[in-house]
Amino acid sequence: MIGRRGCIGLGTIAALLALWFVLTTVTGAVSGGRFPSPADFWVSLQQIFTRGYAGERLASHALHSVKLVAMGFIVAVATGVPLGLWMGWSRRAEAAVNPVFLIVRPIPPLAWIPLAILWLGLGDAAKIMVIWFAAFVPSVINAFTGVRNIDRPLLEAALMLGTPRWRMVREVIVPAALPMIFTGLRLSLQASWTTLVAAELVGALVGVGFVLNMAQQDIYPGMILVGMVTVGILGWATTLLLASVESRALAWNTAARD
Amino acid sequence: MGSIEFSGVGKVFGQAGGGTKALEDINLTIGEKEFVAIVGPSGCGKTTCLRMVAGFELPSSGVVSVSGRPVTSPGPDRAVVFQQFALFPWKTVRENIDLGLRNKNLPKGERDKLIHGALQLMNLESHADAFPHQLSGGMQQRVAIARAYVLDPDVLLMDEPFGALDAQTRVVMQEELVRLARVNPRTVLFITHAVEEAVYLADRVAIMTRRPGRIKEILDVRSVRLRENWDRFQNIEDVMDLESFVSIRTHIWKSLREEKGPQGI
Repeated sequence: MIGRRGCIGLGTIAALLALWFVLTTVTGAVSGGRFPSPADFWVSLQQIFTRGYAGERLASHALHSVKLVAMGFIVAVATGVPLGLWMGWSRRAEAAVNPVFLIVRPIPPLAWIPLAILWLGLGDAAKIMVIWFAAFVPSVINAFTGVRNIDRPLLEAALMLGTPRWRMVREVIVPAALPMIFTGLRLSLQASWTTLVAAELVGALVGVGFVLNMAQQDIYPGMILVGMVTVGILGWATTLLLASVESRALAWNTAARD
Repeated sequence: MGSIEFSGVGKVFGQAGGGTKALEDINLTIGEKEFVAIVGPSGCGKTTCLRMVAGFELPSSGVVSVSGRPVTSPGPDRAVVFQQFALFPWKTVRENIDLGLRNKNLPKGERDKLIHGALQLMNLESHADAFPHQLSGGMQQRVAIARAYVLDPDVLLMDEPFGALDAQTRVVMQEELVRLARVNPRTVLFITHAVEEAVYLADRVAIMTRRPGRIKEILDVRSVRLRENWDRFQNIEDVMDLESFVSIRTHIWKSLREEKGPQGI
């Protein structure tokens, strides 16, 4: 089930955990004020699970963050992918949108945070907006590239078969661009998490980034590590979920790569 | 129904004035149910001829017409078989063949019957639900041929259809196409650079000059084939040994060699 490569990976993780234990607890080479020991971590984890920290228990913080990421990601994908497809299909659309894109794109998504807070306050709407901006770009670019890279004979075959416009989009263009679209979605998801945590660090009342921010102000290394590990696990889990959707949608493609 | 006519067709690629002249004054009429092969040195524009009949390109001068109507855009009355198959990898064999029929808005029952017939014709019945990547190149090209045949097109356009296949598969496909063409004759425009293939398959072979391509010579193979009764042989190698076959082949080779540069390339 796990396989040879999985075993090697688990081995690496076990070795790192052992190293962590040795450096912080056995030899004391790293002091608890700089990096928490496994015991500190465990105490912080128990605290946030049972009594809560920064106003909420871990589950509420995590759930809130996941909710914002999901909403921002979905809005970004729902707007970005169609725009990318359209730009890929129509030279005119590309000519119209590209200049705006070229100017807006170099602005780091995090630079939108002040404006977003100014417009929408410290609530969820501002964070969704910032995530949207961050996750939008990879979705557009990859959908665009996906359409532009479609094999010409494939399009010509569809035209030769008399395929009407919408069927062309649904059954030829989107499936042909789908591997690239999914590459875009993976990057968008990554960008969503990065942006969310940053946005919550700057201003939030709940969420994993807020936990990190509070723990830093409280000088509480154990809780900082809890926050970081939580982000890592949530990011990994959502990536896994996306990958399972992808492998189902691209069954024909993964089989072709074998 | 089903004739192809090139009259005074020229094609220039790129900007007007500074463009490359690919074809010049092509005149060729392909009659109904006639199988015409075009051979020529690489880059002579033979594929461009086919693409203009398909409607993928428009002539820069002159007119390309099918069944008397000038070609303006691609359509299912002119089915194309591509060198690289161009099957939809996310569709099964059946779905690939079905797309053109669905585009014609045929009822499900009729489509199923037609697909079944096409699968049978190309010996694909056991692969109906396979995806293209699960099939060999030869099988994939059978699917592409089935997809074209099932449309019942006025003309069939084949652009080096066996060029991507290995030598053995190629021979099998050539023999099958001959069988198909004799049983179920169509108007076919067949592009190839393989001289034997052209002589074996076609009623007439058009030889092109090097770029800018013109039609240099048209050979009537059909009358020789009928006179010498080539069709009595099952296998291509038996036909290729006949003196009548060899003399046509050698003639075409010599004609093509004149078209190559002084370096012979």
